[in-house]
Amino acid sequence: MPEKYVIHTTTVPNRFRAISKSGIIAWEEGCLRCAICVKERCVYDVYYKRKLDSRQMIDSIDNLCMNCLRCVQGCPKELISKSVNPEFKEMGDDFFTPEIISRLWYQAETGKIPVSGAGYPGPFSGPGFDSMWTDMSEIVRPTRDGIHGREYISTAIDLGKTLGSLKFDQSGGLIGDIPLLVDIPLPILLKVPPFGAISDKTLLGWAMAAKRLGTFLAMKRDEVQKLPDQFRPWLLPVLEADLSDPAAIPRGVRIVEIPWSRKWDKTAKIIKDAFPSLLLCVDVAMMDGMEEKARAVAEAGADIIHLDAGAPDGGKDTKACDARAYDPRRVKDAIRSVHMELVAANIRDGVTLVASGGFAMAEHVAKGMLCGADAVMAEFQLLISLQCRMCRRCTTGLSCPMDIQDASSKWVAGRVVNLFGAWHNQLIEVMGAMGIRDARRLRGEVGRAMFYEDLDKAVFGSLGSAAEGFELE
Amino acid sequence: MHYQHNRTLALFYCQNVPGAGERERIGLEKEYGQCIRFYPIACSGRLEPVHLLSALENFADAAYLITCPEGMCRYFEGNLRAIKRVMRTQDIISGIGLEKERVGIITGSKEGPKTLAELAKEIFDKVLQMEPSPVLGKGERSYDYCATEAH
Repeated sequence: MPEKYVIHTTTVPNRFRAISKSGIIAWEEGCLRCAICVKERCVYDVYYKRKLDSRQMIDSIDNLCMNCLRCVQGCPKELISKSVNPEFKEMGDDFFTPEIISRLWYQAETGKIPVSGAGYPGPFSGPGFDSMWTDMSEIVRPTRDGIHGREYISTAIDLGKTLGSLKFDQSGGLIGDIPLLVDIPLPILLKVPPFGAISDKTLLGWAMAAKRLGTFLAMKRDEVQKLPDQFRPWLLPVLEADLSDPAAIPRGVRIVEIPWSRKWDKTAKIIKDAFPSLLLCVDVAMMDGMEEKARAVAEAGADIIHLDAGAPDGGKDTKACDARAYDPRRVKDAIRSVHMELVAANIRDGVTLVASGGFAMAEHVAKGMLCGADAVMAEFQLLISLQCRMCRRCTTGLSCPMDIQDASSKWVAGRVVNLFGAWHNQLIEVMGAMGIRDARRLRGEVGRAMFYEDLDKAVFGSLGSAAEGFELE
Repeated sequence: MHYQHNRTLALFYCQNVPGAGERERIGLEKEYGQCIRFYPIACSGRLEPVHLLSALENFADAAYLITCPEGMCRYFEGNLRAIKRVMRTQDIISGIGLEKERVGIITGSKEGPKTLAELAKEIFDKVLQMEPSPVLGKGERSYDYCATEAH
């Protein structure tokens, strides 16, 4: 059994104060001057520790307040109230909601699993991965000493082809070559986001994080050249579709990616002829016809398919970025569809399926794998871990309000390691609760999941359906 | 970017002001650059003299507040209380020899509501008539960074 994979995390403080969800409105006018004010009784001392950050104009009481509402309820003149911070409401987009962003910030800062504490108040189903529930039947027998205890839960996966069977000759010797495999201890690959206030220091920090996590960082070929050679084994250069000169491929890398095009197989041949030991990944955009493309790519011998829900133009255009190639809320359906196509063609083991886009939370990793992905690729999470608010000012030429480009590489690496350390722990929790001890077994294991659409059909299907807005007379 | 003036305005505004969304704000930031710093707040009654004074102390030649119209406050009296606070801040700064006009409040109108962009222009035009703040001097305008040294 290999050595246990543990991501060591340590608190990496925010560079700027986090934008909190709510703010305190405390009026002085009409104060009765009680002998003991509710502000003095605050168990978190938020009023006593009050400070103003004059750059962001953020009052520290908003960050420190734990929303116990004692002061709001206790003030006899009702001078204290809570409000939703307008800046918080404006963060992110439909997919990376303010709540998700603030949770990612917390994980990047502490490396810990966020706990809401007061139960789950939201709806039990929604679009995308929220319409999917994982099997938790094994949760009745939790590990005796925690997720890092004696029980071994492996999150390692293999990138590349696996053989369906082994064939031997008369003398017991293996017939044929064993395909090249690269194993990574975490089913998450990283990718440089298409926009952001990204400097060379940021890139270096992400590369450091990829090395510490033991995974890959996908980036453009020219960006690879900016980084020291020691990081090459953990870099995944994205090459041009019409690459003709194999000398342009950075040395020392183990995987390269090319975008799908009508002549992708010619580019692939150039690469494989020059560097047979390289794993080849083909980026297939998540859009109509992806199933046929993915099958053709797998049949033609690619090692990895990157099913990409990213913006088609690389995200430079804000509108195009908002309207991604594939709605991230439908990513689960796309993965299932491609996975089933490969299964039906009997070539599923002949290729690794990596999906990107639509994975905003740790639970989405497990759910994406249950839908059929071998691994997922994180992209905007790398930016959000650096306190990005997804405001997209950088795409309009404005400076980044969080000055991400000025952050040191060490800080960047620490934040990213913390975030994925927390995700790793959550993945182990989910797998433990499902009774699965190996992340490879998660792939396509839909028997361990329930889908809202299926349940709805099974329970209410016989009743027929009513159009939205239908009312009984 | 249209504005290259050596004046900085700290503009606090109630979230109920028309045209105060994130997209409009980004448009205004592009237009005014660093000349106007925009601070949306949940209620104008939340603003205290320390916010305005801190802006004047650290980077702003003037600090203004835009409130929702009278009678429209979600917290009933927030905009009324804000008027008193701004007046108090004006008293404080005049006590140290600064012009009262460096701090001000604009109350929105129910009848003819103006957008954030219109009000920002009006206020900034007024600020341009002022001399640079003597508090800031000729040196570089500083920030009271509370960011940790972790980076």
